[in-house]
Amino acid sequence: MSTATDSVDLVGDEVAVNLVRAALLAALMGAFAFVSFPNPLNPAVPVTAQVLGVFLAGIYLGPAWGGFAMALYVLAGVLGAPVFSGASAGLAEIFGPTGGYLLSYPFAAALIGAVVHGVNGLVDPEGVSLPRLVGAMTAGTVVIYALGIAVYWYYLDTSLVAAIVGAGLVFVPAEAVKMAAAIGIVRSDEVQAT
Amino acid sequence: MLGYQHGDSLAHRLDPRTKLAVQLTFAVAAFAHTDPRGLAVLTVVTAGALASARLSPVAVLWGYRFLLPLLAAAVLFELVTLGPPWLDLAAAVDPLLASYRTLLIVAVAAGYVRTTAARESRAAVQWAIPGKPGRLLGAGVGLVFRFLPLLRRDLAAIRDAERARLGDERPTRERLQTVGAAGLRRAFARADRLAMALSARCFSWNATLPRIRFRAVDAPALALAAGLAASVLV
Repeated sequence: MSTATDSVDLVGDEVAVNLVRAALLAALMGAFAFVSFPNPLNPAVPVTAQVLGVFLAGIYLGPAWGGFAMALYVLAGVLGAPVFSGASAGLAEIFGPTGGYLLSYPFAAALIGAVVHGVNGLVDPEGVSLPRLVGAMTAGTVVIYALGIAVYWYYLDTSLVAAIVGAGLVFVPAEAVKMAAAIGIVRSDEVQAT
Repeated sequence: MLGYQHGDSLAHRLDPRTKLAVQLTFAVAAFAHTDPRGLAVLTVVTAGALASARLSPVAVLWGYRFLLPLLAAAVLFELVTLGPPWLDLAAAVDPLLASYRTLLIVAVAAGYVRTTAARESRAAVQWAIPGKPGRLLGAGVGLVFRFLPLLRRDLAAIRDAERARLGDERPTRERLQTVGAAGLRRAFARADRLAMALSARCFSWNATLPRIRFRAVDAPALALAAGLAASVLV
């Protein structure tokens, strides 16, 4: 062991709070990957709550820290934390057919945060209008599926139609359920934003 | 489930940066040579990577079994046609090769996951991304590793409570909302306590990490990574 002798450079309180919140949201999203619910529309494909985590990151942490939280989620998964669906991990997930979804999460969360909060600091999500919340999450979902389908299509050498059906249309109805759940959470008074 | 396990295999002794370099170049080479001959060579490399981590291929397949239906679906979708001749073998060749390529990349990555501790990964992150962004990412990744088991237990407790009250008979949206809200509330409560505790203990930008350095044993692995990278150009 060596001893470092440089002076200690303290992390500011605000950065520390945001860093820890982002890290715990990323970990919560990893925990969501273990939780699956029956899909009301298609029992063969269970719903996992991961995309709900992307919505919540954008809504509660805003564009910068929400995007950072998702970047942490992806990086931790790449480095071996079992946070991806089915408790898997590793760089291969990024280079796999579902890698597009994972790579899209930081962008989707940042976009959702930007639509919900605007660019001038954070607002209380409870006061944000319903159309704005729905619009933000719809935009985020479009980003997730655009990247997800593109990578799936490129990666597995299937036809574009096969990719859109196999990697997109099968899952989209479930996203509407997650959006409704996210709105319920924002409106429920249970979670304090700050 | 594959996770880090303490050990003294060859892969354990490699520098985390070496292992990341091998994984990255392996993935790039696999994309460049998705043909039977290329994949045969890469299968040999994969076998070597698994042996160096003392990891059995069966354990890898079992650990990533959730991936298998997805890969099979891609092959079947192209194989089966809606009309005579019903089976189109030629169309299924490309998805089949792509699916096999996925399995190889997964196996090599599993070797990293099994043999690299979170602290070493964090040191590699801060080496690769200098300055405060790298330190933030490094610290954040450390926290994710640390808190994942706790938050999983939180969610499991919430779901137990839900089940005890017959909550699992409610519609999916309500269940997602209950679990999501309770999970987020607990995560934020933990975050605020942790942030205060970190500040109280002088949470600093320059924390001490394990020192990572290249050793003699890294040389062959780095040569392998260089070879894989060079193979893309051939």
